[in-house]
Formats: sequence, C-alpha cells, structure tokens
Amino acid sequence: MEQLYAERLKRYVTAMRNEKPDKIPIRPFVAEFTAKYAGYTCQEVTHNFEKAFEAARKCAADFDWDAVVANMVYVWTGLTQAIGLKYYGVPGIDVPPNTGFQYKEPPPEKAFMKPGEYDRLIEDPTGYLFNVWLPRVSADVSTIGEPTSFRSNLSFLKGGMAMMKYFTAFGTQNALLRSESGTVSAISGILKAPFDILADKLRGYIGLTMDLFQRPDKILAACEALMPHLTHVALSGADPDKNVPIGFWMHRGCVPFISHEHFNKLYWPTLKPIIEEIWSHGHQVLFYAEGDWNAHLKSFTELPDKAIVYHVDKADIFEAHKTIGHKFCISGGIPNFLLGFGTPNEVRDYCRKVIDSVAKDGGYIMDASAIIQDDAKVENIKAMTDFTREYGVY
Amino acid sequence: MTKRQKIEVKPGTCIPWEQKLKEIPEISGDETLFRKVWEDIDALGYMFIWQCLLSF
Repeated sequence: MEQLYAERLKRYVTAMRNEKPDKIPIRPFVAEFTAKYAGYTCQEVTHNFEKAFEAARKCAADFDWDAVVANMVYVWTGLTQAIGLKYYGVPGIDVPPNTGFQYKEPPPEKAFMKPGEYDRLIEDPTGYLFNVWLPRVSADVSTIGEPTSFRSNLSFLKGGMAMMKYFTAFGTQNALLRSESGTVSAISGILKAPFDILADKLRGYIGLTMDLFQRPDKILAACEALMPHLTHVALSGADPDKNVPIGFWMHRGCVPFISHEHFNKLYWPTLKPIIEEIWSHGHQVLFYAEGDWNAHLKSFTELPDKAIVYHVDKADIFEAHKTIGHKFCISGGIPNFLLGFGTPNEVRDYCRKVIDSVAKDGGYIMDASAIIQDDAKVENIKAMTDFTREYGVY
Repeated sequence: MTKRQKIEVKPGTCIPWEQKLKEIPEISGDETLFRKVWEDIDALGYMFIWQCLLSF
C-alpha cells in the first residue's frame, strides 16, 4: 500500500508542477456523492464527521483515485451548531435530510458588517471579528458591553473544543487514507481572497456591490488589512512537506459579479501578493475557480510559473489551457450536469475530448467541474475514473 | 481606542505577549518559556476566529 501511495503522490505532484507523470492523476472533489455511495444521508455526513470520513475512505478504497479531499463535506454542522452560527441551512432542520447544507446570506440591511464599520475592521481585524462579527453571526455569543450568559460562555468552550477535535481528526483521516487505500490527501490549508471574504461573510454580496461605488477606498483598505491575516492562516495550514497545495476557494470576485475595473483595482492587487508570498515559502495554491473566471486568465499569468494549480469549473477549459497551460497545471472541466444526467458513454466522450486537448503534454488532473454532490450517478463517476485510467497513460 | 489596540496585534495573535507582560508581576524565571507558551495558546484563539470566518 505504501508503494501505491508513493506512486500516486509522485503522479499527483508531477502533474501539479505542470510536468508529465506516468498517467493522468485522478483527483475528484467528491462531496455529498460520498454519502450517496456509502449509504448515508446528507444529514449524516454533514452532522457526523466520522461518517463523512468513513464515506470518503470507502470511495477512496473502491475507486482508483490518486487523491481526494479528506472530507469535502467540510462544514461540520455539529461544530457550527455548538458555536451558534446562524448562516447555515442544516440538512434535517432547515433543508431536507438529503439536501446538502446551504449558506444563508442575510439581506443587505442585516449584513453581518455595517457599511460604517470599515474603519473598525481595518484598524484591528481580529478584534473586530471577536467583538462585533461573532456576536452577530452567533445566536449564542453576547454582544460586547451586554451581560454575558451561560450560552455565550458555552459557545466558546464547546466551539473551541469541537474545532480542535475536528482538526485533530484530519490527521488520523489522512493516515487512514494512506494506509487503507494508498490515497493522497489532496489539499492542505485554506485561503480566500480578501475581497471574497468581504462579500461572503461580512458585507454580503449586495452590500459590497453598493460599497464598490460609495466607498471603494474603504474596500481597498479593508482588503489590505485582511491580507496579512489570510496569508498567515493559509501558511499555518499548509503541507509541511510542500507537496499538496493550499485550497483557494474563489467566489464573488470575477466578471460579471464585479467589473473588470473593480477586479483590476481591488480584487487582484490584494490577492496577487498573497499568492506570491505563499509561493516564496514553496507552497502551491489550488485556484478553485468556481463559476467562470476566464475573463481574468491574463492576470493570473502574472504569477510565477507553477505557483498555482488552476481548477476550471464552468469556464471553457480549452481556452483556459491555451492561455495559462504553459505556466500552470489545470484540473477539472468535466461538466457536473453530464455526471448527473448523462450516460457513461457521454462521460467517456467528454473525458476523451478534454484529455486529447488539455492533457497531451501533462499538467492536467482529472476532475469534475465543481464539487461532486449526490446528483452524480455512480456509473458516471466510474466511467470518468476507468476511462481516464485506461486512456490517460503517457 | 482601548489600551489593547495601542499595541500592534500581529497575524497569529489575539493578545500580544507585550501586553500580557504588563499585567503580571516581574518574572524571576524563564521569560522565554512563559512567552512561548502564551503565544502558542493565544494562537489557538486566533485560529478559532479566523477559521470561523474562512472555513465555517
């Protein structure tokens, strides 16, 4: 098993360095699909991370995959419930037990950060999060200046201990993936762009779009204030062996969510230095480009060769390969609708098309476009896997 | 502005050691040990809030 692990790690890392391995590595980001395959509900894998881990290991053992995320149903709602977080739609409570968890963005007037609070965030981001943001996003945490409570105290105690328990369990999970099926844990650590974090969890997308016109200087200053913290968090969780990349989840910073001008003035100048800093430490970043980011491919070519792995979701993977394939490894590009509603033959045909065009010189990793949820058919995932293994030999 | 905010709070830190040092009697033992343990555990608080923001 250790030899298999070594072969897979070498294959995966070689491709990520934009070189040609022995075969095309297969690294599907399987999320709720693991529940479907292992016989669990979405509620079970979302609320009981041990079941999510077990389901991920079962898939890794049964499919010939080189690397997987240790738990792509990453949000453990046992933890978020302990903290009292309001913004999750929990399977079995807010949504049906067999629907994946949802993020509930509040309306602009109830945004977790108010438009007049930029200076407080800029001055002390960590203090702002603890003192202002957390009491708003948690149903249990008391607002600063108000009396504390049993529930508020418990939120920190239970939340902190649960988070430690969860993160510690990943070490065991990674070791089991390695010993049980010779599978590599695909990513390590987390990064989000400063602009995306403002949109996701602070001002909200609608609030931020208003700010783009009313207070763009504050957005820039806030992004700059967040940069060292997001860099620190990313490096804190990075693979000490510098093999697997830091996962970077890209959300609201692309055209048409924002304009080219805002991307060029706000999003990119406050992201690019983070990637360069991380790369200076020897870590790659996996750009998980959710949606279509092809409007910004030329900006990404400003990064050093091999600094990133670029994952393609709904964008044209052939255009992406043409523009940035000479610098970076590319992954993904197999449409999720095909995996959910197509036939195995259609999946094989599409995989062939992508392999012939994007993977011929190496530097490609087979994966679906977006994370694979429980709408994907097992036979189609098997077709993607088996075809790539047979056809994707260099 | 609070007293806490006057001391630079660097990434990875909630309450800087420099601030904690002002709150405790003079150290007769190994300050390096006190500092390291303070900062290691303080970093857990930092991790908690930033992981709440980024991951959960």
